[in-house]
Amino acid sequence: MADIRLVNVSKQFGTVRVIENVSMTIESGEFMVFLGPSGCGKSTLLRMIAGLEDIDGGEIHIGNRRVDELPPSERGVAMVFQNYALYPHMSVRDNMSFGLQNIRMPREEIAKRVAAAAKTLELEHLIDRKPGQLSGGQRQRVAIGRAIVRDPKAFLFDEPLSNLDAGLRARTRIEFAQLHQRMKTTMVFVTHDQIEAMTLADRIVVMNNRKIEQIGTPMDIYTRPASRFVAAFVGSPAMNFLPVQQISDRDGMALVKLPDNSEIQTNIATAHLPNDGQLTLGIRPESVRVDSDGTVSGKSDVIERLGERTLAYVRLADNSVVIAEDEGMSRLNVGDQVKLSFDGGSAHLFDARDVAYSAAG
Amino acid sequence: MSAADTATDVPAPARKKRFNRTEVLAALIFVLPFVVVYAVMFIYPTLQMIWLSFQKAPLIGAGTFIGFDNYEKLFKDRLFGVAFWNTVYFVVLTVVPSTMLALAIAVGINRLKGWTQSVILACFFIPYILPVSVVFRVWGWMFDSQFGILQPLIALFVGENVPVFRTLPLFMPAVAFITIWWTIGFNILLFIAGLRNISPEIYEAAALDGTSRWRQFTRITWPLIWPVTVLVLTIQLIAQFKIFDQIYLFGNGGRSDATMGLVQLIYRSAFQKNNGGYGATVAVVLFAVIVIFSVLQFQMLRARGEK
Repeated sequence: MADIRLVNVSKQFGTVRVIENVSMTIESGEFMVFLGPSGCGKSTLLRMIAGLEDIDGGEIHIGNRRVDELPPSERGVAMVFQNYALYPHMSVRDNMSFGLQNIRMPREEIAKRVAAAAKTLELEHLIDRKPGQLSGGQRQRVAIGRAIVRDPKAFLFDEPLSNLDAGLRARTRIEFAQLHQRMKTTMVFVTHDQIEAMTLADRIVVMNNRKIEQIGTPMDIYTRPASRFVAAFVGSPAMNFLPVQQISDRDGMALVKLPDNSEIQTNIATAHLPNDGQLTLGIRPESVRVDSDGTVSGKSDVIERLGERTLAYVRLADNSVVIAEDEGMSRLNVGDQVKLSFDGGSAHLFDARDVAYSAAG
Repeated sequence: MSAADTATDVPAPARKKRFNRTEVLAALIFVLPFVVVYAVMFIYPTLQMIWLSFQKAPLIGAGTFIGFDNYEKLFKDRLFGVAFWNTVYFVVLTVVPSTMLALAIAVGINRLKGWTQSVILACFFIPYILPVSVVFRVWGWMFDSQFGILQPLIALFVGENVPVFRTLPLFMPAVAFITIWWTIGFNILLFIAGLRNISPEIYEAAALDGTSRWRQFTRITWPLIWPVTVLVLTIQLIAQFKIFDQIYLFGNGGRSDATMGLVQLIYRSAFQKNNGGYGATVAVVLFAVIVIFSVLQFQMLRARGEK
């Protein structure tokens, strides 16, 4: 178990910069998730920690050792690949023991470790099969087994769930959480799936366009996004964004006037807001309720009935669309006139540079 | 109404025929041209060849049935023995060395990047597109005992110029060497295709597993391209058993009885001596040898790979 420290790490492929001056510390025993859209650089960052990509600038430390000049096998990390990368001609047992044979570990010790990992991952009955004879989920477990037997300082997972079907993905996600609780080893997990990130992570690194947008706990990221990108990327359905017509001060907090002249009282300190430039209000759908006493009016465009709740896509007078929630048994229909109430306390404001301003505390 | 009646009243579920007539007809129409060509161009001549081997017959025209006389004669024929062992010697000199060399070169080329990879691959592949006559001219000139560009090199080792194609112990190794040079490009191409099929992630996993270069080759690369190796070995085996052109051209004017291969013996018996029956007998034996060796080799090697 060791911490991982990245200091001003940069990387470019040819003339294209894929990582720009990234610095962060992943604490020992922490489950850190790199979250971001395709091409944001999260997998490259993971591969740089693993040693599969060289870095062009900066330093990488694992534990007390600088590792960026070391080959992958000497960094003390184990990696589970998106496509598992099992050796197709080797049995499950050989796949797991191959790395240990390479370091000339005594046979008895190898056998002991493989047996223990196979038991933990319920692979005992598959131990002599080849990867081609296994299902996707089983291959996934073998890949994890191969990582576990090496007793690494840190586990690196590169989108390991993306090849599984929805049901298996949900089950395996829980297994990952249990694995981390049991092993308490540093784990770095790359995904573009926000549910995986929110459910597994101790902390999330949200990446976009080669840079870190925000590092924080899942709830931090959700409730106090640092930028409009984070606010839009995390949460499903996505956050509503509405143009602000005017900001006024009420008891030190911002009172937002929307284009249809409706007003929303926020808990965002007016003093922190910029004096110039267009502001945008951001509010999550669960903070916008369909309410006959609501102050904002509109017409429902689309109704999505999800069972436990109903989502209404409501078009306001200025033609902007707001996603609002209603109860599961909602009688709302497409085309109905709807009144909405906004819980301004949980709203955010974003300036012209997409920097977020959230409620204090 | 009885239970039995009830049962018969229920309509049996309509069973869909596995193949309907139109499908069968369509399949036949698609397959027929090949079957006809295959029958006319391969099966019929093969059967004729086998039948001819039991006859005393000229190449063209009727013969007389003589049972196994041709086969008896064949196994007593000293020239057949020479031709058989020359062919086997040539196969030994070419098949495995050519395959191993192609594998080594392919692994090397596969490590190159960008345009250097294409240029080097092209360099190895270009000889493969040359006709045998050009290969004969090029190497005949290079090994020429008086003016050959390679003779100074040979003289450096043995002290004098050597007429390579007129020196019996050197003839087969020299022709084998030239054949490998000529045909290796295709084998390299097959190996490169096999190597490119291996996911880079597997090598990355091996790097994380601390695998040395040699162990990576022996434990990962080679097992994964074993099927290609078996294919190349089998193709090579079949091709080299049929050796004719190179031996015929390079041996022309020399002691052709001593350098003869099996196909050359067929050619001489059937076309030069007009002994179609005997030529067919040698052909049948060669056909049987190729089938037996290639099937055996393919099966054995494949089984090893699956173990």
